[in-house]
Parts: sequence; C-alpha cells; structure tokens
Amino acid sequence: MAVKMIVEGKSDARLPVAVKGTREGLVFLLNERCPYEDVRRCLEELLTGDSAGLFEGPQVSVAVDYGDRQLTPEQARELLMVFLARENFLLREWGGNTAARQALHGQRPSVRAMRQVIHKGTVRAGQDLYFEGDVVVVGDVNPGGQVTAAGDIYVFGRLRGLAHAGVHGDETAIVAAAEFSPTQVRIANVVGWTPSPAGKMSTFMEFAYLTEDGMAVDKMQYAGALRSKEPLRAGGDRDGGQSVREGDEPWAPPL
Amino acid sequence: MGTAVVITSGKGGVGKTTSTANIGTALALMGKRVCLVDTDIGLRNLDVVMGLENRIIYDIVDVANGECRLEQALIRDKRFDHLAVLPASQTKDKSALQPDRVREMVMRLKEQFDFVFIDCPAGIEHGFKVAIAGADEAIVVTTPETASVRDADRVIGLLEASHLKSPKLVINRIRPKMVKQGDMLDIDEVVQVLAIDLLGVIPDEEAVIKNNIKGEPIVMHPDHRAAIAYRHIARRILGDSVPLMVLDEEPGLWGRMKRLIGGRR
Repeated sequence: MAVKMIVEGKSDARLPVAVKGTREGLVFLLNERCPYEDVRRCLEELLTGDSAGLFEGPQVSVAVDYGDRQLTPEQARELLMVFLARENFLLREWGGNTAARQALHGQRPSVRAMRQVIHKGTVRAGQDLYFEGDVVVVGDVNPGGQVTAAGDIYVFGRLRGLAHAGVHGDETAIVAAAEFSPTQVRIANVVGWTPSPAGKMSTFMEFAYLTEDGMAVDKMQYAGALRSKEPLRAGGDRDGGQSVREGDEPWAPPL
Repeated sequence: MGTAVVITSGKGGVGKTTSTANIGTALALMGKRVCLVDTDIGLRNLDVVMGLENRIIYDIVDVANGECRLEQALIRDKRFDHLAVLPASQTKDKSALQPDRVREMVMRLKEQFDFVFIDCPAGIEHGFKVAIAGADEAIVVTTPETASVRDADRVIGLLEASHLKSPKLVINRIRPKMVKQGDMLDIDEVVQVLAIDLLGVIPDEEAVIKNNIKGEPIVMHPDHRAAIAYRHIARRILGDSVPLMVLDEEPGLWGRMKRLIGGRR
C-alpha cells in the first residue's frame, strides 16, 4: 500500500545508549535492538572513557532501562558493575519498563495536545521554524526552508523543504502535506528523503510515519487508522504506536 | 517626493546592476527624474555599465562621511539631464556605510528625483541591510536556475521580515529554447515557488553584455527584445498594465515559409 518510497538511515543506527536528564536524575536507556556487546562497550566508554568527566559531580540518582532485552545473569551483573563503579551514582531503578522511562514518554502527549499552532504564510529558504507541539502550515515550505515540531507537522501546501516531526524523540509523530515532495523528512531520529526529485504531482494528501522497519509514506486517509491503533498515550507503551496497517509495506531500509 | 526602490537578489551575477541601469534608463527615457545609487562598496560597477566611470570625483562614502555635499557626488548622465548616478567607493569596504546614513541620503534624493534605484550588493549581510534601509519598494532579480531561485527565496523572506512587505520579481536571462526543452526552469515554476508578483521577464541576449561593455544600457536600442522587456518593466512600475512578452523564438525563414503555405509549424 505504501505509495512512495523513502530511504533512510534507520532507527537501529541509534546510539546503543541514550542518556536523558530528568528532574529525578539521569535515565539510561539501553537500546534493545543493538547487540549486547555494543551496549556494554558504549556504556563503558561513556562512563569511563573521555566523556567520564561529564558524569562527575555530586551524588545523582540513576535509573537504567534495558527495554525488552533478555539479559543473562552474567550480562546483568556485568552492566551493573559498570554503573556501580561510579561512586556518585545512586542506582534508583533497574528493569525493562521502568517508571522512569514511562515518565519520560508520558510527559509528551499532554504537552503536545495542548500546544497546537497554525502558521500562515510561506516558509522560505533559510527560515527555520520551531513549534513546541503540532503545527499546521498554511502555505508552502520551499526548498531550503525548515519546519521543526515536537509533535506532528501538517502542510496545507507544497512541502519541498525539510520537515522534522517529533523532534524530542516522539516516534509516533507524522509529517503530512498536500503536495508531498520534501527534500528531507525526519521523524524523531530517523531521516528519510525522496529518492529522486518528484516529477508528477500526486492528487492525494500524503503523510510520512515511522514503522518498525523505518519510514513510510501513505495516503492521508490512513493516518486516522494508524492513530486509532495506538494505545492510550498517557503512560503508553513506547512501541505501541508502530502497529502498521495490514497490507502496508514498510520502507525497506537499504543498509 | 519620489519612490526609492532597492534592486536585490542574494546571489551574485544574476543581473542586479544591469537591471538597475536599464530600468532606471528606461524610466528616464519616459521623462522621469531618476537617480541610480550604487551601494556595492569596494566592487563598484554601476558607473561602468552606465559609461560614466571617468567622471567620478566623489562617491557615496565621501557623502556619508561628510567630505562632500550630496550634489557634488552625483554624476549627470551623458544621455539624459534628469538621470544621475551616485557611485560607490572602489577603495573602502562594506562597513564604510551605515544604514542610518544611507536612509538619510535616500530621503534627500527622493526630494529631487521621481525614482531612486538602489543597486544592492550580493549577499545578505551588512551591505544588504544598508541597501534596503532607505527603500520603499524592492525588486528581486533572479535567473531561472535553482541556486538563484533559492537565494531569491531567502532574500524575499528577509525583505518580508523587514519593512519591505511586497517585493516584486524580475526573472532575468531566460532562454525560451532551453525552457522548451525542459533544461531550464520555466516562468511559472519560478513564480510558483517564490509566490510574489512578477514585474517582468528579460530574455537572455548577447547584446546585453555587449552594451554593458560599451557603457550604454541596452534599453537605448529598442531593436533588441531585452530592451523592450526593460521598457515594459518601466511602464509597469508607472502603473500601466503591459502583457508579458511572448518569448518564443522567432520562426526562421523556413518556419515563416511553412506558415505562408499553411503548414503546421
């Protein structure tokens, strides 16, 4: 069903370890899709290598979330030792779906639902607009122009520039446009671009979204169906929004 | 009180100076009092295109620094009494001018002239800000190439963010043949992207360059289509509604014969 193909540089290419700062302290998110060795090496480098100085300072409470990964007892001990080696770390949480992770992802939907902006006018080359929630652009986004939003981006016009939805990591965000021919689309940390300059104008409004295998573009009428399959946002499961419509072919990432 | 128009483009080499010289001269031809101001400090060439280089004594920086009166720096054109050029300085750099000083200068020129055309330097830095400071209107020049259209788009964004809300567009150096073959952006595409009013389209002609070297704007020679196009722009500035020129190449002898006989072209 996917109408157009966009190639991308993949969510699996994400860093094996992501560190987020919250009010409670640090949250370490260990990428569940990376090989275990990568995670361990990256973690060791992070905490004992060049960047070790970043974590120095007063006592800080730390939560570690390893997602859906099945850790063997040896692996778990190995990882824990890396954290315990740091004297100012106070291990607060350890697990697969920690409260810390939920809090991290739970914040977003409320912010996003509240802040919706309609931007009127053409976004021209060199202009870089940032929105804290969803945005509707009434006008074109010209090549060289950029729209960035924490939530979704809808363009009532031609999208020919760059659009970055879910800039803070919301993988359920979408980018939609009446004429969908962007130079580049980014959702969360996945980058996609149209393989060749779009020649013919499509008669449909189209939108880009993330699937488990990367980015896909589809006709706008499926956006509602995609969204309705998502679990409730508040306290939601991170991967829940990626359930793809049956029959949809996700983009194949050429790795 | 006259009108000050800045002619700008972002990208260099698209024909800002040529357009300034020609639109200004065209309006002078119609009896308007016109002053052309070159703000491209350090790279002055408006005076060269107008063929007035040898008459320069003072320049715009001298006026700004109070080293001479504005009237002393103005050079009367050799063809029209009511056409003048305020040349840029060749030796200083862009920082020698400040927006406030230029705004003041343009205000004074507007008292004496019907139109003041300000030739803007390429780029969007200090020189650009100085050039647009005193202007009431803006004309953006672009060529039908992606890079030039991109820069024009950027400049239009900056103009709209300043006090110049509705810039007008001139598409320069269009080659009907290349457009037809799909090797060049066509007028519609450019206008669609930039989404501003089109003031005119100038066909690409070798004679334009030839005349620049001679120091005589092509608009003086109405046998060239570029000259007619510039005259049309001048008329549109005065408020006439002149339809866009049909830019198709003139049919050659063979084409004309075919048409005579009644064959399809």
